[in-house]
Order: sequence, then structure tokens, then C-alpha cells
Amino acid sequence: MRLRPIPAVKPRSLEEALRYLEEGGRPLAGGTDLLVAIRKGQEKPELLVYVGELPELRILREGPEGLEIGAALTHAELLVHPATERFPILRAVLRTIGSPAIRAMGTLGGNLVTASPAGDSLVALSLLEARVRLVGPRGERELPIPEFLVGPRKTALERGELVRSVFLPYPEGHPRSFFRKVGRRRALIIAVASLGALVWVRDGRVERARLALGSVAPTVLRPRDVEEALVGRPLAPEAWEDLVPVLSAATQPISDLRATAEYRRKVAGRLLLALAEALQAGP
Amino acid sequence: MAKVLVREAARTQVVGQGVPRLDAEAKVKGQARYADDLSFPGMLYGKAIRSERPHARIRRLDLSRVLAHPKVACVVTAKDIPGRNCVPIIYEDMPLLAEEIVRYVGEPIALLAAETREDAEEAARLASIEYEDLPAVFDPLEALRPGAPQVAVPTAAERGNLFNHMVIRKGDVARGFAEADVIVEGEYRVGYQEHAYLETQGVIAVPEENGIAVYGTLQCPFYVQRAVAAVLGLPLSRVRVVQTATGGGFGGKEDVPSQVAAMAAVLAWRSGRPVKVVYDREEDILTTSKRHPAIVRYKTGAKRDGTLTAVEVEFYYNAGAYQTLSSAVLWRGLVHAAGPYRIPHVKVDGYSVATNTVPCGAFRGFGSPQVIFAHEAQMDELARRLGMDPLELRQKNALREGDETATAQVLTESVGLLSCIERAKELSRWEERKQKVAEFNARERFRKRGLGVSTVMYGVGMGAKAPLLDKAGAYVKLEADGSITVAVGNTEMGQGAMTVLAQIAAEALEVPLSVIQMAPVDTSRVPDSGPTVASRTTTVQGLAVLDAARKLKAKINRAVQEILGCPAFVVEGRSFCDPKDPRRRVTLEEVARWMWVHNWDMGATGWAEAAPVDWDPKTGLGNAYFVYAFACHIAEVEVDILTGEAHVRGFWAVHDSGRIVNPKTAWGQVAGGIAQGIGYALLEELQAKEGRILYPTFTAYHIPTTLDMPEELVIDFVEAPYSGGPYGAKGLGEVPLMASHAAVANAISAATGGRLREYPALPERVLALLEGEK
Repeated sequence: MRLRPIPAVKPRSLEEALRYLEEGGRPLAGGTDLLVAIRKGQEKPELLVYVGELPELRILREGPEGLEIGAALTHAELLVHPATERFPILRAVLRTIGSPAIRAMGTLGGNLVTASPAGDSLVALSLLEARVRLVGPRGERELPIPEFLVGPRKTALERGELVRSVFLPYPEGHPRSFFRKVGRRRALIIAVASLGALVWVRDGRVERARLALGSVAPTVLRPRDVEEALVGRPLAPEAWEDLVPVLSAATQPISDLRATAEYRRKVAGRLLLALAEALQAGP
Repeated sequence: MAKVLVREAARTQVVGQGVPRLDAEAKVKGQARYADDLSFPGMLYGKAIRSERPHARIRRLDLSRVLAHPKVACVVTAKDIPGRNCVPIIYEDMPLLAEEIVRYVGEPIALLAAETREDAEEAARLASIEYEDLPAVFDPLEALRPGAPQVAVPTAAERGNLFNHMVIRKGDVARGFAEADVIVEGEYRVGYQEHAYLETQGVIAVPEENGIAVYGTLQCPFYVQRAVAAVLGLPLSRVRVVQTATGGGFGGKEDVPSQVAAMAAVLAWRSGRPVKVVYDREEDILTTSKRHPAIVRYKTGAKRDGTLTAVEVEFYYNAGAYQTLSSAVLWRGLVHAAGPYRIPHVKVDGYSVATNTVPCGAFRGFGSPQVIFAHEAQMDELARRLGMDPLELRQKNALREGDETATAQVLTESVGLLSCIERAKELSRWEERKQKVAEFNARERFRKRGLGVSTVMYGVGMGAKAPLLDKAGAYVKLEADGSITVAVGNTEMGQGAMTVLAQIAAEALEVPLSVIQMAPVDTSRVPDSGPTVASRTTTVQGLAVLDAARKLKAKINRAVQEILGCPAFVVEGRSFCDPKDPRRRVTLEEVARWMWVHNWDMGATGWAEAAPVDWDPKTGLGNAYFVYAFACHIAEVEVDILTGEAHVRGFWAVHDSGRIVNPKTAWGQVAGGIAQGIGYALLEELQAKEGRILYPTFTAYHIPTTLDMPEELVIDFVEAPYSGGPYGAKGLGEVPLMASHAAVANAISAATGGRLREYPALPERVLALLEGEK
């Protein structure tokens, strides 16, 4: 189906943009999700507010505590910017999003707001314990990822509010990064299941671990019990095998056109072994 | 042992050169004009109002709200069709617009034309149709049961829903199996494969003073001409079909454009205005032809040393609601069912069956990939049982010159299969690779690799089922300035045909390629060359070009002799020289001018007919095709045993398509066929439920990306020349896809230790194979 013209405005400032949003406008940046939803008739915005070039949303600020990323920076921009070098997990995840064309248009803020259970960047943001900075008619607020993502395709955004930036605290020390996305082909794919991890290793054993899974629960999943159970284990798949069913049990997958719930549950657990193998193989 | 042509022996200048495609620059620069790029003054946008039910009687068709839409210019139902309500293909069972009964979801019931595309879409949703649902059937086996709902139009079916049943009876399979030491049996299933051409279906019908012109993306302009003439009740001479730049076909633009063009033509005729009908991707996937889903059963017998003794095959193709091309598709499947092997006893039964689903049609390979999946899986199962190397088993049974095919055709020349196998073995370093794979599998915990092979044969051209279509004409004209125009009735759809045909013309005329211009294909100006299908263009259309070029060359030679006043001359670039006095020379431009001034006929027509074929439908025996192409493919896959994901790491493809006119475009054909084969075997799944295609988008239907292609990709050609083709060429187009998926499937089976019997090998299916589900 073709698109009917939809009125759109390009505000010059964040202030102006917020006024349009208060009137019921929908923010548009890369459009890689929103335009598709409009085409399918799932979204019927009356006014599109183009925020993709607002300077306030295009910042990239390295501070002493962490990195602040403007919501309208594209995946492609973040992949090459030196400031993201300190977050290899972010790069590993962004590299798997869509195709070069999608990465050139899609933004980090957009991926957050879409809040898809399969949203790839959410895995990295969850692992990095990022905080989402929102701006709206009643000022600014900051939410950790779990509070921002309230359900599948549901966020804590209130009417008139906009994601302004994402703050990534620098992780302590030098954790090892891992990301594995399972899908039917090697690119341009929505994850069937994914596992990301930050693992701090000491003397050949897990000192601390953060795990995040995509596409196997209503939102990105942090299996805290498995994270804790990993502490002290050697980097060997055979030493982790007992946790495979535990991780599978922590998921709440659904069946859809891409895979059955049963497959997702099984594979989510097994990805733990892929992680162990990767850690064992060395950095 | 097949003869392998040594390249030097051919002594050609342009044929055999990997020149860039003539259409490449315009396409790369975005200058090529595709159907949707064209616009005509006063043009309307046409849209079909389609059935929402798989099988129903139309109780009431209320189009009043459509007609009331302010931007709707024209509405057409079956009774408004000026000619016959029929899209003629092989049979004439498919109406352009359903009258009483709809037989599949998406079947056109009425048409409208509106001022804009958006208006047309909006108006189409205003139709109100009252249906009385009829019992429906979607599975071919169920459709054949007594008491099944009647789907097929009775005049187009042998009985009930059985469109066609075709057989091969050679020797005595009971005896063959009695002689066998090992027998393998299996049932194999495949679903739809969608063409996924870059450009969706699209035409524009333009009323002209004397009739109608149709511009569109299509493979077979003369099919479209016939269909449009039928629905408008016009003589063929008043229907002109012009092919626009065509963004891929793969068979999907063989029969379907006849339907799309007929819709646009009726609207244009009724409204008196140009009408454009361009499908979006969703409409294209929902309503156009695909590869037939199939159920295929095989039983193969062999002696302990691997010698094949018998094969028995039974296969069912789900044809959809109307015949379209299914009888021809079935026939090709039948002839190819026994594979490229010497088998004394062969029994094949092929059935194409009507169901309440979208009609299936032509797709690269045309009914052969389904049976190839099965026969190559059988060969692998036999090799496993016999403890034989799978390549060795194929070598042992491969058809050689002088052998008889399954249809008792004696192969008299151009049988390069053994050379293909040997070369593929060499290029892949087969023995070493087998060793490495075994070492990898012993070492790795979560990954397994496997090697798979396939060998195939392909009957070039239309074959004995449609010999009337296997002809081609060409017109070659020397212009007054020395440039040359070549007009042919076959089409370019991205396969490189025009480049190859221009090379053949340049070679025969002894002129540089840059002198040749291929004319646009317009049925009022080019000879009917039959359809651009069946990998026949280089061979049959090429022969017609060669015939015309040789005739023109003779005229040019006579002119040069007269101008130079010497009986013999030599050609140097664009000049002709007296060998005794090199200063006496004349250029092609001067020769052309001289011929024009002296009122010579500067054109020549060429004609080609495929070599005779014959066929006995009772026994299925005969000379099915005039020549065969061959291939051997080897694939190496890696599967992740944690997730079931599979990736093709390496691929070695060797083809015998006779002389290769353009190695670069041939390489592209093979690489593209490998990609489509990887998609067919591993990725492509079009889910349908009760005749409804559930997710008609590329988000759900996964075709391979660049990253899904093998890291190591080696393509080569052995050239067993065919004396009946131009410069020894046979066909190539379809063969790469036919061979590739089967090699991938066998590699999956090897890696998992299971046996893949259903496509696609999605991660879940691969996991099941790994976990011992056989």
C-alpha cells in the first residue's frame, strides 16, 4: 500500500519540537520502524515531527563517568565514532542491526522507543546499565533501562515526552564482551534469540557476569540468578552445563512466524555454552 | 568420456570473451526505464478487486460504492470484457475475472481504474462481495481423494482434480529391484519458492489509433500479445507489446504478465485512457505464480558396486486453482526425474493436481528442482549404505556419450558430465577436503561440517512437449553509416541475453561488438522467437542471429569484392584490405554507404528451429530434448549444533553448457543460481494456511543476502561443444539453481548425520536432524 501524505514539521529547536509533541505530534528520526508501521496501517500519526537533525539530540559527550549519546545518532555513526571504542559490546550489537542502509538511517533513540522484544541495541544498553534521559513538558528525567522498557513495544514515555539521550556509564575494569544473535540468515534479520554478555574474568574464572537476552521475553531479559551462579566458575562449557536449563527456564518466549517458543527456550539456554566456549578461546 | 573443447580450437574473436553486459551502464546509473518509470498523458491506475475466499460462489457483487468514488474512471466486471474472459496459456481454464465461482484467495473478480494509485487502492476496498463458501481443498493428495471438492475446471482436467498424469515406463522395475543388492526409499517434501525478482509485475496499456500497445516487464512478449488480443477480441496485428527494462524474471514473468496485461488492456479499452497496473510486493507475493510445492517419493536400487539397477518415482505437484503452465512443468519434472544416470529400469508417475491455492507456474528449473532434491538425496543415501564416496557413485553411473537416458534417448554428442565431476573434484581438492572436514568434526564441540554433492542434467529448450514454440527469428540490418541493428524476439531480463546475442552477431559479421545495437523488443517490429524460457535463448535465438548475420555478411563480402575489385580480402578491425596491396582498403562505413547508394538490400532475416524431438506419452519414451546441459556442484556447510544455524562455507560449481559465449555473464548466472539454491534449501519458506499466504513480505520470506553466500566460491566450465548450437553453445540459465540446492541439502545431511527430507533446512529442522530425528 502507498502512503497518503502526512503533515510533517521540522522544528529548529528542542523547545519547538516539544511544543509540537504536546499537540500530539509523533517524533520521527530515521523512520526505519515508524514508516514501516505507518505503511502497514499500524500507526496513524496526524503530525510527524522530524527530530533527526536537532542539535540537542545529536550530541556525543564523553564525561568522567560515562558517555552520553544523543538519541538521533545513527547506528552507523556510533559504529565508527572513536567514543564508542570503550563499549565493544555496543559495537558488536550495532553491527548486527539490519543492513548497511538500515544502520545508516536507524537511530539509537528510535531502537529504544520501538521497544521491540527483539531490539538488538537494548541488549547492549541493558548490559551496560544505561540510563535513558527523557525531556518533556514537565522537564527532564532519567530512567534506568528496566524502568524505561515496561513491556513489549511499551515504554515509560509519557505524552509529549521525547528521548533526548542515553547515558552509558563506563564499565569498571575490562570485562570481556560477547554477543550472539540467532536468526535464519546472516544479515537483515530480526533475532530469534540473542545473548549478550559482559564477563569479568580473574585467574581463569568468572569474577562477575552480566547477561542479557533478546527475543525470548516481553522485554530484554537479565537473568540475575544465572549471572550469580556463574561467579567463580572456570571458563569451560562443561562447567556451565547445569545452568543451561536454568537459563532456558528464565525465558518467557512466544511462538511467532520466526520460531516456536520451544526452540527459543532451548536455544537461549544453549547460548550460554557458546559464551563459555568463546571465553575459553580467549580474547 | 566426453570431449572437452580446447578454447584455442574455437578461434573466435568476440565469442568466448567476458565483455561487460551491454545494459550494465544504464542500469548502474539508474537510467534504465522500468515499467513503473513510464508515464503517459491521462494515465489511470488500475487495480483488481480480488477474492477473499479460497473457494466460493459469488452471491452478490456490489460495486456501487466503488463506482461512486469520485476518482474512479472505470469499473470492469466479467461481462464488460470485450473479447473472451480467459487468460490463454496452455489450457484456457483461467478466466481473467471470476464470474460465478472463485477458486483461490486473490483471484480477480473485478477491475477498476482511478486517477491515482492511492485512489485505486482506496476504491478497491469499497467493493462489497457476498460469498457462499464452498468446501475447499489445499493439499494435492486430499484433492485426489474421492469426494474431494471439485476445484479444477472439468475441461482442463483428466479427471476430478487431476490436471495431468504423466508416465515413464522403461524396462521392468520389478526386475531391476530384484537385481539390486541395496534399495533406498524416501519421501521428500518442498514448499513454495517465490521468485523475488527485484521489479514486481507491472504493465501500462495504451490505446492507440489502430489498437492497443502494452508496455511492461515481461519475458514472453508474444504470449502477452496473444492474451491481450483474446480479451479484447482484436486480431494480433492490432496488439503491440513492448518490453520495458525488466528487473528479473526467473520464470515469474513467463505467464503472469499475460494476466496483468490483460487486466490493464481491458481497463484501457473501456476507459479509452492509458492504464498502469503495477503490483506492490505484497500483491505480487500473494497473487502471482511460484514454484510448485511437491510431495516426491523415490525408490532406488543398486548393486553392491554402486551400479544403479532401477528407480521408481511418484511425485505430486500442487498446481493451484488453474492449469497455467503446470502440464509443462510436470513434464519437465518427469523427464528429469531419473537424473543424469544410466538406469536400465525406470518407472515414473507424475501428477499435477488442482487445489484452492494461487496457481503455480514457471520458476528457473521448471519442475525439475523438486525431483532433483529427491534423486540426489537418494544417491547420497545409496552412497552411505554402500560405503561409497558420493562422487564416485555418481561417476560410476553418470551418462556418457552413446548412453540411453531414462526416456531411452541415445545421447549422441556433447555429454560433459564426467568432465564436470572430475573438474569439481579437482577444484575442491575433494580428498583433502574430506579429510579436513573429518578433522574439524573430531576437534570441534559445537560445530559440524559436511560436504554435499549433486550432479544434474538439463534438457535444453522447450522439448517434445512444446516443439511448436522452439523457433526463433532475427533481423540484422546494416545501417547506411556502418552501424548494425539486430532485432530479436527474445528478451533481456537480467540474464545477459542481449550481450550474448550481440557477441554472436559481431563474431559472425567480423565486426567489433561496439558496432552492434540490439533493437528494443516490440512485437510489431521483431520476429516471433517463441518464449524467453527454458534456457533456450543463447542456443535457439543465437542460431537465428547467426543465420541472419551470415547472410548479411555474405552481402557485405560481395560489396567489398566489388569495391576493391579483388576476390579475396582480409578484415582488419573495421577495414577490409586487398591482401596484395594493403593500401587498397575500404572501411565498414564506406561499404555501408556504397551499398546504400547502390540500392542494395542491407538487411537479412535469420531463422532457427530446434532439432527435432519426439515423445510417446503412453510410455514416456522418446527424444525428449535436442541436447542436454550438465553440472556437478559441491557444497561445504557448517552447522551450529547449539542453534541449528547452517552456513554454506564453500561452493564449487562446474558446468557443461557447451561453448560459453561470455564467461563473465555465465559466471554471474551460476553465482546467482547458487544463491537461489541456498535460499531454496536453507531459508525460503512461504507459510500458508487454508489457501492464504500468511506473511507476504520480505521481512518474513528470507532470501539470501551477500553474507549468506559462501566465502569460497569457485565456478568453472568444461565445454563439450554442441554441433547444433551457435559456436557450440548449449543452454545454461536454469542449471545452476537446479544443481545448487541439492548439494547444499546433502551437505546438511552429511554435517548432521541425519537425512534432510524437507526444505527449507531452518535451524529448528537442523536441530531435529542433529538430535537423531531421521
